[in-house]
Amino acid sequence: MSIAPGSDALARDEAGIDTPGDAAGPDESGPRGSTLPRYIAVKAGGALISLAMVVVLGFFSFRILPGSDPAINLTRGRQVSAAEVERLRHEFGLDQSLIAQFFRYVGDLLTGNLGTSFVYNQSVSSLIAEKLGPTLLLTGTAALISITLGLWLGQRAAWRRGSWFDKLQTGTALTFWSVPTFWLGLILLLVFAGMFHLFPAGGMTTAGSDETGFAYILDALHHLTLPVVTMVAVVYAQYLMVMRASVLEEMSADYLTTARAKGLAEDKVRTRHAVPNALLPTVTLIFLHVGGLIGGAVTVETVFSWPGLGFLTFTALSAPDLPLLQGTFVVFSTIVILMNFVADLLYRVLDPRLKAA
Amino acid sequence: MTDHHTPSGRSLLRRAAAFAVAAVALAAPAVAGTTLPAHAADAAPAVKVAIATDIDTFNPFLAILASSTGILRFQYENLVQYGVNNEPVPGLSDKWETSTDGKTWTYHIRDGMKWSDNQPLTADDVAWTFNAVKTNPALQKANGGLVENVQSVAAKDPSTLELTLTAPQASNPGFELPIVPKHVWEKQADPSKYANDTDTVGSGPFTIKSYQKGVSVQLVANPNFWRGPAKVSGLTYAYYKNTDAAVQALKNGEVDIVGSLTPAQFTSLKDQSGITTNQGAGRRYTALAINPGAIDAQGKPLGDGNAALQDPVLRQAIVKAVDKQTLLTRVLQGLGKPGLTEMPGVYPSYTGYAPGYTAPTFDIAGANQLLDRAGYAKGADGNRTDKSGKPLTLRLMGRNSDPTHAQMAEFVKGWLGQIGIPLTVSMVTPNQVNDDSTLGKYDLYFTGWGIGPDPDFQLSINQCSSRPNADGSGATSENNWCDPAFDALYKAQHTELDAAKRADLVKQAFTMIDKAAINSVVWYADTLEAWRSDKFTGFVKQPENTGVVMGQNGYWGLYGATPVSADTASSAGTSSSSGMPGWVIGLVIVAVIVVVGAIILLSMRRRATAADRE
Repeated sequence: MSIAPGSDALARDEAGIDTPGDAAGPDESGPRGSTLPRYIAVKAGGALISLAMVVVLGFFSFRILPGSDPAINLTRGRQVSAAEVERLRHEFGLDQSLIAQFFRYVGDLLTGNLGTSFVYNQSVSSLIAEKLGPTLLLTGTAALISITLGLWLGQRAAWRRGSWFDKLQTGTALTFWSVPTFWLGLILLLVFAGMFHLFPAGGMTTAGSDETGFAYILDALHHLTLPVVTMVAVVYAQYLMVMRASVLEEMSADYLTTARAKGLAEDKVRTRHAVPNALLPTVTLIFLHVGGLIGGAVTVETVFSWPGLGFLTFTALSAPDLPLLQGTFVVFSTIVILMNFVADLLYRVLDPRLKAA
Repeated sequence: MTDHHTPSGRSLLRRAAAFAVAAVALAAPAVAGTTLPAHAADAAPAVKVAIATDIDTFNPFLAILASSTGILRFQYENLVQYGVNNEPVPGLSDKWETSTDGKTWTYHIRDGMKWSDNQPLTADDVAWTFNAVKTNPALQKANGGLVENVQSVAAKDPSTLELTLTAPQASNPGFELPIVPKHVWEKQADPSKYANDTDTVGSGPFTIKSYQKGVSVQLVANPNFWRGPAKVSGLTYAYYKNTDAAVQALKNGEVDIVGSLTPAQFTSLKDQSGITTNQGAGRRYTALAINPGAIDAQGKPLGDGNAALQDPVLRQAIVKAVDKQTLLTRVLQGLGKPGLTEMPGVYPSYTGYAPGYTAPTFDIAGANQLLDRAGYAKGADGNRTDKSGKPLTLRLMGRNSDPTHAQMAEFVKGWLGQIGIPLTVSMVTPNQVNDDSTLGKYDLYFTGWGIGPDPDFQLSINQCSSRPNADGSGATSENNWCDPAFDALYKAQHTELDAAKRADLVKQAFTMIDKAAINSVVWYADTLEAWRSDKFTGFVKQPENTGVVMGQNGYWGLYGATPVSADTASSAGTSSSSGMPGWVIGLVIVAVIVVVGAIILLSMRRRATAADRE
């Protein structure tokens, strides 16, 4: 649980909503009770090993795809001689042995060089840097809203479990969770862009406008709304359910009886006592999911023509543009691994019980 | 207790206020958005075009993706251009002549032409471009193939260019290669690193002004274009990564023209006011390819095609058992033309069969007769055995990315069943199809090519010498087929300078492919497009009246665009929508207020009952 498999980086975690039992966050078999530096070292070591595996896996898996000779695919259907195809293959370094290519790739990677894209005639790191901003804007906004919304609704629902509010909120959230992202996105597009002309049908800003300042921000917000609503609708359920489960667990605790005995109002019992304790497992979960969320942006970016990393990956697959694919794969995976590492650390810091003993 | 009440009441108010702000923030841009089209109408209009695929680069020496090369067609005039009917028409050169041996081509460059930055455009620019591609391998990625047969290029004087070829060729070597301004490009230390995407200098109807990666490309009309400046101020390309979004954007007024529609999208746009749809003749063929017994460049058998298919009679029987007309009406919903040879009908001089050839027609009984006579015995179960007595079963491969392939496969399976040949169908990824077809690992598969105006390339990849190496590297073969008689025809048309005689040879060559039953062309799918006719008219189709506006061989489609004058637009456009009617805005605001109010009321009531309980 503490290390997500690399493939999670490329798809929304469809496995289902974590049950309260395993929502507890990091690996229970971890070095509980060890010293903090040792704990960090072990976790960091684990993260590095995962990263190394991602690098190896990324390199070889994209090379065993069928039809994966980029020199042939890039020249298909055009008037190109066999000599020109060979020249391209040489330029791409594909005429060397697989092992030689691999060591060159790893060597470059260690110096921070992700290589040059076959298709875009540009360094992979600059291509990724260009598209990382829009992706972070989209996923960051969606994460912020869905976490806030999910946690808030979750604790309210738990506090009044069984009420119509609880049933309505969990029901709605789970319905949206079960809906395919692209389908929901297309429906929103159809209704709010095509039918009512309320929102633009795609992009991050209006094409061809030279707006600056406030008008530009307003334009970007206008474009951001539908993709963010789609992402939030699909993912907020996981935060709601976990928060609800955590609060439910706390509700029978003795300290709440004590709080009520002091004469505190129900609202205060909830906000001052139950919620802070329930947040503990939830915070680590948030970090575990944020990594996956960035991968999940691929679909939303495609539906709403958002100029982010998702579409870059999608385009890279068709050549296949090997350096670009490896680059995006490493970046996506690094984010997931990093977030898991942060979750591990946070859990340790937040839960005093892990420090003692 | 009251003590507790006040602060939570306040926090409730704060929350309500925050929610209201959020709601207004969501609605405000919507209201602002409705005012945008009005602004746009004031300025000189540019045609907004939806593009679906990514742009690799605007460096014309390197650009290979269709979006980029399509945009660059507007930026650079060629030496010789394809006309409205795909015929050769003057480009930078207003007249040209060919030596009798077909090896020396002399072009007269039109006098007095200027680049978009007012610098003179002469034969020097053309010579520089040809030589740059010839001598610098880094500039050969996109167009290296176009200069392969060019031995030398010389600007005799500012208005005369002489191309000397290594071997004679009939197709005009002045087509296709984008001619760049020498005075801009010779200053680049490494031209292969020049992005060429901001305030560019060009010779075509539009030049690239700015490029925001993944967002938009802006082109402005070139005042110096030799045919006269365009009637619109420019072209603005906006990305829509799926055509469903592009269709909504067209309805929304965000874009003015959308291409590559699916039949369902096309139908949904048909009766929209202010929108015109176009079912244009396409230049792509779709075919059923049959493995004739692939052989590699060294003459060794390649792949795992069923050996029985090496018998032309079996292949001809299969072709006879496929009803192209039914496939066209049922699978493509009639949105195409029935297939003849690989050359689609948009190239009238080369399309159709050679005189005297009768193409096979759909005839199940006839196909059965052919097979009976050739000795493919039918067993008790109705299935045939091959000549060695083994049961005859075949495989059919198609692309899982193209829904028509799976649909066609079902029909073909039924028909082949009727002639006693069971079929196993597999739909795989496009790359898998490319790999397996190159290596001859198929019996039957669905294929297709987009065809350019000159048939030479398509014919060349059917020569014996175009067969690949055993590992699939080396040359590209269209059908893994080899016939010396075809090679002779290819060579004859390659050097035949008389257009009519060449067309005749080309038809004979393509007819041979059909006769060999290795690549039976099923249809030429129409290209479906739609545009805002309440904003622009005058789009020129290629071919004239029956063709397409987007993705042409040339710049005619969007160069012809003319804005609908402001008066007509406002009277025609009121009902049709670019913005949102005022009552909808009102309704949305009212709805938001009602919902917010209801939530506040409900929470207050709940709070009150909770307080009572306490």
